[in-house]
Amino acid sequence: MRLVKSYLRRAYSSFVAHVFDVPPRFMAFLLFLTLLVLPLAGLDTYYLSMLTYANVIAIFAVSWDLLVGRTGQISLGHALFFGIGGYATGFLSKNLGIPIWVTIPLAVLVGCLTAFLIGFPCLRVKGPYLALITMAFPLIVWRVIKWVPLYPLFGGERGIIGLPSFFPALSGSIVAMNARVQAEYYLTLLVLFVCSVIIYKIANSRTGIVFMSILDDELASKACGINVTKYKLMSFTISGLFATLAGCMFAHLFGRTATPSMFELTLSFIPVVVTFLGGIGTIYGPIVGAYVYAIVDRYFLTILVPKLVDVPPWFQHAKLLIFIFIVLLLIIKWPRGVARFTTDRLEDLEEARDLDERGPRIWKRYKTRKKK
Amino acid sequence: MHLLEVENLTKRFGGLTALKNVDFHIDEGEMVGIIGPNGAGKTTLFNLISGLLKPDSGAVKLRGENITGLAPHKIVNKGIARTFQIVRPFRHLPVIANVMVALKSPRGARKIEWLKTMERKAADMLEDVGLSELMLEPAENVGHGDLKRLEMAKALATEPDLLMLDEPFGGLNPLETDFLIKSIMRMHLDEPSRGIVIVEHKLYALMQIVERVIVLHQGEKIAEGTPEEIAKNKKVIEVYMGKGM
Repeated sequence: MRLVKSYLRRAYSSFVAHVFDVPPRFMAFLLFLTLLVLPLAGLDTYYLSMLTYANVIAIFAVSWDLLVGRTGQISLGHALFFGIGGYATGFLSKNLGIPIWVTIPLAVLVGCLTAFLIGFPCLRVKGPYLALITMAFPLIVWRVIKWVPLYPLFGGERGIIGLPSFFPALSGSIVAMNARVQAEYYLTLLVLFVCSVIIYKIANSRTGIVFMSILDDELASKACGINVTKYKLMSFTISGLFATLAGCMFAHLFGRTATPSMFELTLSFIPVVVTFLGGIGTIYGPIVGAYVYAIVDRYFLTILVPKLVDVPPWFQHAKLLIFIFIVLLLIIKWPRGVARFTTDRLEDLEEARDLDERGPRIWKRYKTRKKK
Repeated sequence: MHLLEVENLTKRFGGLTALKNVDFHIDEGEMVGIIGPNGAGKTTLFNLISGLLKPDSGAVKLRGENITGLAPHKIVNKGIARTFQIVRPFRHLPVIANVMVALKSPRGARKIEWLKTMERKAADMLEDVGLSELMLEPAENVGHGDLKRLEMAKALATEPDLLMLDEPFGGLNPLETDFLIKSIMRMHLDEPSRGIVIVEHKLYALMQIVERVIVLHQGEKIAEGTPEEIAKNKKVIEVYMGKGM
């Protein structure tokens, strides 16, 4: 009993030191708490599923941020992993009848393997050429999936439909449906939390330092004895892993289908837009960006604007375009992203409080004692 | 056996022959300077040895092992580290993390003593070059003189057998130059078996510290000898001052 008590006390004090005393983290903690209690506050299921969508997109965008914002390898074809995730888990669970908790890890493995195989030749080219090559892959797969002879396997244009849900027990009545939406929301929130913490830890580890060095100066990291290809491939694979996971979640949650549209170009650009909105290279930025995107896309442009003004029919198809326009306007004002702007202000406040007491937040542990 | 042997190294860029049959060797614990007017091929020579460029003919041997045309990171892990003429820090990373990148390489990681963390080792390396004050500063906020020293720390982090410094004194004021000379000398005494090659324009600084000088001119080696010999060499004076003096 006393042991448990001492552990609890230690956990509490480390929580205070690491979260309460760092304003940006405290803000993040408050936001997370808000997200936790939202369903209990009686939020409508439509908005809840909107936030579920935001969670999935956030996982997707965070994985993109690790690759592009932290390693500098531009990928404009992340939809490839998203789609492969959806199709792999769909194929395994629908056609072979494997339970969902097995198919998702298997699909993630498939995504990892794809990332590894594609990254091996692709990562030898740089900059815009890499972006173009990665962009080509989902488009190729998109055509292959729709190829008529493969209809029995992948269902052609229609895709694989009727995937099992995460909570098969919760169906039938309205009450059960509402409970399912809530359960799915909590599930995605948990997965988002775990994934973003893992990616944040990777990005700030010693390996993450090497990723950053490749972003800054590839030649100089070679001159430091770093096998650049190996680290790029590592980053690409990790990024592919989480993007595939996001695709799996998406396929099982929304419409419970794996459609060819998961390979579409639009989907490759969503993480780009979302990450730039939140702040590239921050890891937490894309999460904020994803929430903004989901709310603007699914609430403002879908519900609020049609309610207020008479919109033409093409409006529904121009939503992403309008969102990108909004992002561009925001980027003029806050070029480093919305989330980073906020944390910068918070850190300024903190620095005013204790000016030379601390170094940059991530590097706190390397801090040396001040000399008298 | 020589530490580094360069045999008949030739490199052409299109019609221009940047290096023509350059031949020299460096022994363990030797400090050698390479001088020459602009365009003499000094940096090309460095790039060839460190693997950034592939020679058209000739060979580079480290302790008798042929390392010609290997990938740059493999050459670093074999024990040849270099700095760049124009500093290349990792701008978004703190100074200490710049050194940790080099410690993350296979050779750098191997050279970390037992029970010592990478961070501790990086901090020690920075203390050796006198940068411990700026340890947590992002490299983009650090001045040019300090970045030159950071380059040195990065190169030293892999504990190379042969250290190649490309214009280490370029753009430094006399005070900083003196400091760097002192730290190079100290490093030389600490690790007596390490070979050091310095390419430099500032002959005054270079001649103080090196034991042997190699003179390049238009891609060819025109002289080699102790600093005193080189200072008297007719051909070298001709190249630097012009004919008819």
